[in-house]
Amino acid sequence: MDALLSGQLLLAALVTGFVYALVALGLNLIYGTMRLLNIAHGELVMLGAYVTFWLFTLTGVSPLIAFVVAMVLGAAMGWAAYRGIFRSAILSTSVVERLEANSLLLFFGISIILQNVISLIFKADLRGYQYLDNVVEFGGIAITGNRLLVFGISCVVCVGIILFLRYSIFGLAIRALIQNRDATAIVGIDVDRVQAISFGLGFGLAALAGALISTMQPISPFMGFPFTIAAFVVIILGGLGNMTGSLVGGLILGFLETYGVALTAPTYQSILIYGVFIGVLLWRPQGILGGKRVAR
Amino acid sequence: MTRTRIPEIGVIVAAFAIVASLPWLAGSYMVSFAFSLMMWLALTQSWVLFSGLTGYISLGHAVFFGAGAYVMVLCWGTISFWLAIPLAGIIAGGLALLLGYPCLRVRGPYFVILTFGLAELIKFVVVNIESELGQFSRVVFGGPGVDQLFHVMVGLAAIATLMTYVVRRSRAGVGLRAIRENEEAAETIGVSVARYKAFAFAASAIIPGMVGAVMVLRTTYFEPLQAFSPITSFTIVSIAIIGGGDDAPGPVYGALFLVVLQELLWANWPQLYMIILGLLLVFFVLWSPDGVHGWVRKWQLGGRK
Repeated sequence: MDALLSGQLLLAALVTGFVYALVALGLNLIYGTMRLLNIAHGELVMLGAYVTFWLFTLTGVSPLIAFVVAMVLGAAMGWAAYRGIFRSAILSTSVVERLEANSLLLFFGISIILQNVISLIFKADLRGYQYLDNVVEFGGIAITGNRLLVFGISCVVCVGIILFLRYSIFGLAIRALIQNRDATAIVGIDVDRVQAISFGLGFGLAALAGALISTMQPISPFMGFPFTIAAFVVIILGGLGNMTGSLVGGLILGFLETYGVALTAPTYQSILIYGVFIGVLLWRPQGILGGKRVAR
Repeated sequence: MTRTRIPEIGVIVAAFAIVASLPWLAGSYMVSFAFSLMMWLALTQSWVLFSGLTGYISLGHAVFFGAGAYVMVLCWGTISFWLAIPLAGIIAGGLALLLGYPCLRVRGPYFVILTFGLAELIKFVVVNIESELGQFSRVVFGGPGVDQLFHVMVGLAAIATLMTYVVRRSRAGVGLRAIRENEEAAETIGVSVARYKAFAFAASAIIPGMVGAVMVLRTTYFEPLQAFSPITSFTIVSIAIIGGGDDAPGPVYGALFLVVLQELLWANWPQLYMIILGLLLVFFVLWSPDGVHGWVRKWQLGGRK
């Protein structure tokens, strides 16, 4: 019981929660603006992790710089995926529902391609590296330096993105697109450009999250899917297209997972996450914080 | 409306009868090739019966395959495997009815990820049950020989193909396709949408359950991570998309294509095989939504002009 009330577990839950929020924000951005559910999102997390791992172990570049590189590469991939594949899919599909199903298959294909390209290059085994693994202690709570760093960066980036979307003119355009697509085009917003940027930003955030994760845990080409599912849980909890909801949802899931595993056993982690995922999807597909705005 | 034609059914049955006679005509390599062709054909035809007709894309059909396999290993040593195979089908169908009741209310992309998530959940539940029982992989020895299993598999593929052929041309098939095009409109003109979807989902699970049971006997072992592998679901969807269409010929083209690719690449370059499969999926979804079946149809129509 003492262990459950300790600050240690609380901090662990917060770290997990903010990382999930970061992954989910990117997914939610693409879903919100284009109604496309990116099931390859976790693979971007995986790519970000590999970029950081590769830069650090092979060339000795500090992970701090590698984080930025991973994010930029992710954003470039997002932009390329939008220009190369999804724009033509949107233009060529007449029925909205078929586009949603088709884009899901496209993302599925992309995720399979990315997983296997990486496992072809790096082999399928777990890899890891040590960075800032000294233990820092404050107020009786011990935490490794890398977790503290991940906590700080993900917290700042999450809040920064939410504020950016709330107050900048570009954020306004994105929110307009989330609310009403046709009206957005009518008032003179370049929908195509906003979509390309949301794709870039969404992929970039996922890659950044992966880069952060790689400092804390071993990575493998198949690490991505659990993050995709976690991000789905988060955006369904927080409401599709609702960015603040993603942050809240991320924290909820972080706490559920950390305390759930502490109460049972680590082997139940996947069951817990998938269970919450299915429960929420069946119970309230519009999200717990989703309110009136229904998913489609 | 396309109608069921008795001569066409005759052709389908005759084709499968020829395949079934392979053990007497060809070597063991040919039989194992045809074995995997028949397996993917049976799985994909069943998938098309539900997802192709209703447009509800299931990414979770591996769960029925895995459930069938699990039923087989659990029954091993207690009842005859000739009883266990149909039992696996019944249990897979029952599982689909059970899952379908809540899931089929969810539409579009939600349904797709829900099926995937459910399949993964059930996979991890079985993994945990097995490790609680202290079982990490179970071995099943002394089953029927390859030729006998091959005949069962050909039978399953034939039934699955006939089911898709007949259902698509039936009143129910028209109802299911109406659901795909516009669910509200279908309901308004009197299609009992919920019942149609539930029955189609259950029907499309029965054969995969039996295929799973047969495959356990063929590989002689059961390991939950492999039996419930999402790669199975992915492959089924790829075959259906590459083959194209919502009718029986599509999966035949798709499965032929895929099994040839698998023979060439899987043993030595599994990753390359998966990459090519992913690329093909993207290509067909984007640029050739009617699949190989669409090409063949176009070519036939062109020839008639």
